[in-house]
Amino acid sequence: MSVDWSWTADHADELATLTLSHLQAALSAVLLGLVISLPLAVLAHRVRPLRGLLLGLSNVLFTIPSIAVFVLLLPVSGLTRTTTVIGLTIYTLVVLLGNTVEGLDSVPARTKEAAEAMGTRPLRTLLTVELPLALPVIMAGVRIATVMSISLVSVATYIGDGGLGQLFTDGFQRDFPTPVIVGVVLTLLLALVADALLVTVQYVLTPWTRRQRSA
Amino acid sequence: MNRRTLLGGLLATASVPALAACGGGITSLDGGGAGGGGGSSKGGVTIGTANFTENQVLGYLYAAALEAEGVKTSVRPNLGTREILIPALKGGDIDLLPEYQGALLHYLDPKAEATEEGEMQNALAMALPRGLQILPYGRAEDSDAFVVTRDTAKEYGLKSLADLAKHDGELVIGAAPEVKKRTVGAVGLKDVYGVEFKEFKSLDSSGPLVKGALRKGDVDVANLFTTDTDIAAERWVVLTDPKNLIPGQHVVPLIADRKADSTVRKALARLGALLTTRQLTELNRLVDKDKKDPKDVADDWAARHGLTRK
Amino acid sequence: MYELFKDLGAWLVSGEQWTGPDGIGHRLAEHLQYSLLATLVAAAIALPLGLLIGHTGRGAFVAINLASFGRALPTVGLVVLVFLVSGLSMWPVYIALVALAVPSIVTNTYAGMTAVDRDVKDAARGQGMRAHQVLFQVELPLALPLIMTGLRLALIQVVATATIAAYVSFGGLGRYVFDGLAQRDLVQVLGGAVLVAVVAVVLDLALSALQRALFRHRPAQRA
Repeated sequence: MSVDWSWTADHADELATLTLSHLQAALSAVLLGLVISLPLAVLAHRVRPLRGLLLGLSNVLFTIPSIAVFVLLLPVSGLTRTTTVIGLTIYTLVVLLGNTVEGLDSVPARTKEAAEAMGTRPLRTLLTVELPLALPVIMAGVRIATVMSISLVSVATYIGDGGLGQLFTDGFQRDFPTPVIVGVVLTLLLALVADALLVTVQYVLTPWTRRQRSA
Repeated sequence: MNRRTLLGGLLATASVPALAACGGGITSLDGGGAGGGGGSSKGGVTIGTANFTENQVLGYLYAAALEAEGVKTSVRPNLGTREILIPALKGGDIDLLPEYQGALLHYLDPKAEATEEGEMQNALAMALPRGLQILPYGRAEDSDAFVVTRDTAKEYGLKSLADLAKHDGELVIGAAPEVKKRTVGAVGLKDVYGVEFKEFKSLDSSGPLVKGALRKGDVDVANLFTTDTDIAAERWVVLTDPKNLIPGQHVVPLIADRKADSTVRKALARLGALLTTRQLTELNRLVDKDKKDPKDVADDWAARHGLTRK
Repeated sequence: MYELFKDLGAWLVSGEQWTGPDGIGHRLAEHLQYSLLATLVAAAIALPLGLLIGHTGRGAFVAINLASFGRALPTVGLVVLVFLVSGLSMWPVYIALVALAVPSIVTNTYAGMTAVDRDVKDAARGQGMRAHQVLFQVELPLALPLIMTGLRLALIQVVATATIAAYVSFGGLGRYVFDGLAQRDLVQVLGGAVLVAVVAVVLDLALSALQRALFRHRPAQRA
């Protein structure tokens, strides 16, 4: 098995398009996942009985094979990017919801009490005290969810989407290893770069964690 | 049959195929007739293709023919099976689909009896759901074949599909999963020839799985396409079809009314009249064996046959 | 939706659906075989590796980053790649599933080992325990909860992903998902998906019961 480099060079444009499309699907899913999990996590954090239910549900969703989710969405959103993004979002929830709840739990009760004693309203406490302090744990979840989504996008090739995943089905049908190898390598690189960028984002967003470390 | 109605219900835009047969389904009366009607390709045409090489080649050939007439196109390769593509065509995710006469007819009407090309064309027009139409069929044909290796043919004395019935419950058939439920497939083989297989193995459409399984002996009978050059290369035996289970499978464009204007009709008719089975077979080979892109292969062919932007 | 679930009920209880080579019974057995064998092989590779890295402290970088690499690896691509090398065989399925399971187990085993209190290890050595005794009688029992977490996570992922076997012509519950896709038979797809989820949840509960049973003896008391 060898890589046909001239094929790779000839398809640079197509590879770039597929990579971007791949990234767009994964990032959309993580963003949508965050938008859904943040309020749910606050709810699960505050209302104890809901906590087990929500976390349990996201865990069960995680056990459903992703191909099945994409297919079952076909009557709803057809052969579109929307189907891919909704499907991927479902899998980000298990990590994003779990980590956000854990992050909120990790904020010391005394800190919240202090904020309330100073007359800060609950919503403001949440936004300016709790969420920022929970950020490192939330960001750890975002990193995992992003890498996982990038890997999972390719499954959508079975419903005609899937970004770089299209290289897998193409190579499979034609007994042609080059696109498959290139697809795997690009997926890994994309995950690596996205993860590194998120580490940087986290570094910028949470200056206090740096000060603590250097102190 | 419960499932069928259920699926219909799930599709917001679905219409029951049988209703179309009550009238209004005839192509030329259905809007979008030559030169008129509601269809317009102004906004561009999205061509969907199924999950096998030839359909992608045809998709890019359609694109080349349309582009030559100034119609903007985009091709969505490898979307899946007919069962997935036709609802997508009705739902608006795609506008145009390279189809095959007999297979499409049996999908729409499993009891259809037409076998001659003209008859099938009429039957198709009747069976199509509202909003979709077929255009004139092309010269090129790609039929279904049920093949066995020479050894298997000798061992079981197989020459025709009828011979399969002599070995009820002994043979394993390999085909794409959808063929299990298709008339031109396991259902028809049972109804028409009385063949009962030992097992149906879900593989792929004339792809690496079904051919690999036939070579290895994992399956005895394989469903392949007649345009697959491996049949001749491997000297596999195509079982004859004395009872005409397998209908003619000329390539035919299936299009949504909304896009079927006279430019599109003319462009695809011209392509259909030019492309031969032999040429299509060769284009498939270039993609599968020489690892050329279906788009490049299609564009080359179109350029050589004068289908270029004037 | 209601219709879909009603048909699912009919699909699941029909006797015909449970028998024969394409019956639920057979597909379930295949799915369990792929999942359990792959997880066992992965554990046989990953447990010693994680223990070794955790015990010696060498290769920690690998242990920490392996999980991330494992999450990034696209299973479909790996399956196709191995298929193109091996042809029609079970190799693509098993290699992909083992590759999926190994990182979770290594990383969690390593994490469990590093969580063991250094004082406890020192005390054990001070009592004259040899290196392997410290590993097997002190560190391993204390690291067990996290090791089990890694195994459970790996098993859940493997059960869900074993669906892919059907893509390369094999069986398991994925057969219903891939065949249902090709035939646009959503009941079959849903049936396959629900069965996979049930298998994953049941196996997870079984492992967690096993974990509880193991922890009835407190390792610290034994040491």
